[in-house]
Amino acid sequence: KREKHNGKRRNGDRQENKRENQRRKRSSKSVQGIREESQSKTERRERSRRRKGKAEHETSGHEGNKRERDQTRAKSTKSKKNIKNEKTRKLEGKEDGEAQEKSEKGKLKLVCTKNEEKIESGDQLKEKEKALGVKKKKKRRKKVVETSSEPETSEDGDDEEEVNNDGEVRPELLSPEELEKLKEAVDEKKKLIQSLRGKPWPMKQKLVTLRESQLFVEKYEGALGKGKGRKLYAYKVMMTKKWMKFQRDFENFKTACIPWEMKIKEIESHFGSSVASYFIFLRWMYGINMILFSLTFGLVMVPEALMGRPYGSIPRKTVPRAEEAGAMDFAVLWDFGGYAQYSVLFYGYYNNQRAIGWFKFRMPLSYFLVGVGTVAYSYMVVIRTMARNANESGIGDDNSFNFSWKMFTSWDYLIGNPETADNKFASITTSFKEAILEEQESRKDDNIHLTRFLRVLANFLVLCCLAGSGYLIYFVVRRSQKFALDGLENHTWWERNEVNMVMSLLGMFCPMLFDVISTLENYHPRVALQWQLGRIFALFLGNLYTFIIALMDAINLKRKEEKVVKYNITMWEATLYNGTGSENSTAPPITIHPADVPRGPCWETMVGQEFVRLIISDTMTTYITLLIGDFLRAVLVRFLNHCWCWDLEAGFPSYSEFDVSGNVLGLIFNQGMIWMGAFYAPCLPALNLLRLHVSMYLQCWAVMCCNVPQERVFKASGSNNFYMAMLLVILFLSTLPAIYTIVTIPPSFDCGPFSGKNRMFDVIQETLESDFPAWFSKVFSYASNPGLVLPFILLMVLAIYYLQSTSKSYKEANVELKKKLQMQNEENKKKNKQAALKAQMDLEEAKKSASQTAEHQRNNNDSVQRQEGENAKIYMTR
Amino acid sequence: MTLLIKCMHLPFSFSSRMVSPAIALAFLPLLLTLIIRYRYYFVLFYRAVLVRIWKDCVTGLSREERAFQYVLTNSTPGDPDSILDAFDYWCSKVEFISNIGPKKGKILDRLLMEQSPLTVLELGAHCGYSTVRIARALPLGARLYSIEMDQGNAAIAEKIIRLAGFDDDTVELIVNPSDEVIPRLRSDYNLERLDFVFMDHWKKCYLPDLQLLEGYGLLGKGSMIVADNVLFPGAPKFLRYLRKCGLYEWKIHRATLEYSRGIRDGMAELIYQGIK
Repeated sequence: KREKHNGKRRNGDRQENKRENQRRKRSSKSVQGIREESQSKTERRERSRRRKGKAEHETSGHEGNKRERDQTRAKSTKSKKNIKNEKTRKLEGKEDGEAQEKSEKGKLKLVCTKNEEKIESGDQLKEKEKALGVKKKKKRRKKVVETSSEPETSEDGDDEEEVNNDGEVRPELLSPEELEKLKEAVDEKKKLIQSLRGKPWPMKQKLVTLRESQLFVEKYEGALGKGKGRKLYAYKVMMTKKWMKFQRDFENFKTACIPWEMKIKEIESHFGSSVASYFIFLRWMYGINMILFSLTFGLVMVPEALMGRPYGSIPRKTVPRAEEAGAMDFAVLWDFGGYAQYSVLFYGYYNNQRAIGWFKFRMPLSYFLVGVGTVAYSYMVVIRTMARNANESGIGDDNSFNFSWKMFTSWDYLIGNPETADNKFASITTSFKEAILEEQESRKDDNIHLTRFLRVLANFLVLCCLAGSGYLIYFVVRRSQKFALDGLENHTWWERNEVNMVMSLLGMFCPMLFDVISTLENYHPRVALQWQLGRIFALFLGNLYTFIIALMDAINLKRKEEKVVKYNITMWEATLYNGTGSENSTAPPITIHPADVPRGPCWETMVGQEFVRLIISDTMTTYITLLIGDFLRAVLVRFLNHCWCWDLEAGFPSYSEFDVSGNVLGLIFNQGMIWMGAFYAPCLPALNLLRLHVSMYLQCWAVMCCNVPQERVFKASGSNNFYMAMLLVILFLSTLPAIYTIVTIPPSFDCGPFSGKNRMFDVIQETLESDFPAWFSKVFSYASNPGLVLPFILLMVLAIYYLQSTSKSYKEANVELKKKLQMQNEENKKKNKQAALKAQMDLEEAKKSASQTAEHQRNNNDSVQRQEGENAKIYMTR
Repeated sequence: MTLLIKCMHLPFSFSSRMVSPAIALAFLPLLLTLIIRYRYYFVLFYRAVLVRIWKDCVTGLSREERAFQYVLTNSTPGDPDSILDAFDYWCSKVEFISNIGPKKGKILDRLLMEQSPLTVLELGAHCGYSTVRIARALPLGARLYSIEMDQGNAAIAEKIIRLAGFDDDTVELIVNPSDEVIPRLRSDYNLERLDFVFMDHWKKCYLPDLQLLEGYGLLGKGSMIVADNVLFPGAPKFLRYLRKCGLYEWKIHRATLEYSRGIRDGMAELIYQGIK
């Protein structure tokens, strides 16, 4: 109702304005017109000022002063008219006719206003500007109200026209002198905008002034030009605005094109950047795996499937007779046996035929090069990313200006959730408290021994835990070897899967224990996260290497078996051919179904299978923990809370927090296993891609649905490179065993692309000899001789040393420059302080003198004194 | 440690065909984590429930009576400070009673000093600790109405209050459930406006009682309400209401649970702003 009333009043206002406009048009190009207009302007200014005062409850002291000053002056100079205005304004809402009357009165007052203008010559312009700015604002508001309450398009148009009139008609009507003045005013405003930052005003006032002067400049800058210039200017402004809008839209489009960007942003806004950093890392990993996958899929699996010999053509591509019965069972397939084992998914399926298909695809060579290429590519990407991150993050130092950093940079501006903001607020306050306490304690210097002791103790406990878990895994692996010797069929499912189970369980629970232990240490959460990462890293590494050692043992067993099988096969073949040969030497050789041919235990396929199984079980554990540990817990907490004796949500079980360190390490180790196993199981990158894709969605959902923000939300931009460093280490550690097996162990004799060769890398030599011209192999052999290689390596080492030393010197120079900057800043501060003090002194003196003169004059004349004093006051306040 | 491992071993050694001991051992870190992480809760459970049941059986007295006996023998009559000290000692060293405790009590004292209210309402006197604490900090001429539902507790609270030297003019104990008393406050006790309300009774009653106070117009602009234990055991509905309704300017003083170091708790401080 109130709104409607407002609208009505404004309607009245508008009508009056329209009438005025009409009047203006009628009497345009005459001096009268100018005067009238200025009159109406002053009138409106008054009104707008009052409205502004009404609308803005909070006005800073300075502004209040100014308004007061304005009002006092208005009272002194044109109190009569003011009163009338006020009266009319009061009645305005009720009667429309009253408005007309007022305008009539305004007309009568024309002469009066003319005088006024002479009096307020200098200040008038400024006042007008301000009033204009305000008026424009008012009009906008009016328009909004109008469109919301009662949409009248015709009136709207009128309104706009009026605005245009204000902007366009005016400058043409002005005399050259006034134009000059306007130009000056525009320049002044521009200067003001530029120097606004340095002004010692309160922020609110700065904002108001900035907005007003910007509006003013925008309005009159173009209007100052004549005819064409103005249009061109308007066109330019419009185009720049459109261009800016287009740019913004384009940026939005670009962000929308980045996969999962919006999801990650949402998570970031709820959980802070540390959780988001995990998801960004996951996305990055997804990208890398995409490339690994396309390499193996496009250059190994697809050519073999399309152009290689079909399934069932040779023994290595056929399921053996003994396994045929259960080869399609789900249990077998789930274990990657049966048909899954004898397919392009594993090493053993590939044939050692040099070239396949109609365009002579070099299959073994491609297999080898892809295996090397994936690892090389990963090294390249990881190192490049690390270098880039180091450039970004290597600038700040954390030790100096501890409190100012906390003061000005601790807020995470990406948070968009009230709960997280609450947590962040609490964490900032606690961090301040802690920092103050730390500062005090560092001065006291007595508690440091206790902290040190606790830290040592914590590390000792963690080491114990690591040793215990290592021993447990060792024990389990030993036992499983015993079981394997006995024959797996005699044992239960639990015993067969003991190793995987124990590894997953330890990998799940030990980090929790570390987390609990790390509360002893009392580190900053960022540091604590790194320690935690380091510890879990050690744990996982131990687990992984135990696994690899067990695998090595298995490989040796298989190779022994292989020797026996090889001997048996030659015997078998001999008996076969002898048998046939003795009967009839001319008869065609008996065709034996490939499934019946005896074959060796292909250790490469076994290794590949183990890795695939490990990945699958790992993925399953992750998802099941997610569902049980997070989702089920959240559901229980949420719905049992209605009928429980304490607050489950805020108290004891509560919702789980997102475990950044554990998830990051899970991801990194998963990747390590991919790198290790991808050579023997080309399907691994594909599986990993699938897993990453699913976990992206699943974890995004789980985080948003069942986790709560950490209590200590902190920024984690620095730890990104830490992830990368760990990834690099894992990459190195995971390529070691792969390279070891490739270089030292001869490939199986009857399966895989390298069967029949002494070593796997012989394939390169073979290609060089047969596919390249003779001179090339000669050059290669020269190039690979130690006499050339060693100097080259030496040169590289020298180059690295040189680059490192130069970067060190740059760093030092940087530190020096920083110091210089600091010094300069301090000096500037001192100078500024002195200047400010001086200004204060001057001001005080001026005040004294002003008051003295005022007193002096008061004695002389009462009436004159009042005005003068007020003038002085006005001067002072300005 | 070793004992625990043995304990873990025992049940599984019988059924070793089912689950191997190694898998069971892998659960050991989880168990340790749970024990370490929630140790304060276990301790609290032991002190607040097990010890209480045991002592109830042995002495035949209720917990509050035992506390009163101790306070009677170990404090100076007429001195509120010594009574509070005796209570604190008993609650932290001997048994557990969920009083407001010394740390949160200090916050309460500060708020009372700042506010210096003339009419104070306390919901849930229990055995009089918080009543004495509030009465001690009141200015001259102020009056405290304390509501307690339980007869036995109220009798003990009465004795404690008198022991501390506060007479009927300062502290008035009302033995009735809070939701019956609040509607009658205006008529029976001639209360126009409450300056300060302290809530420490059933956590589930926080919200209904607050709404009752609002409904009967007992809160004026600037009245302060302090609610204890809003995080543990916790009053989630109360907090949710505060977030939504917008009638109050409020904040939570974070502290730990009384007489226990590791359990987080908070005291909500509300200032009634009225409808804007």
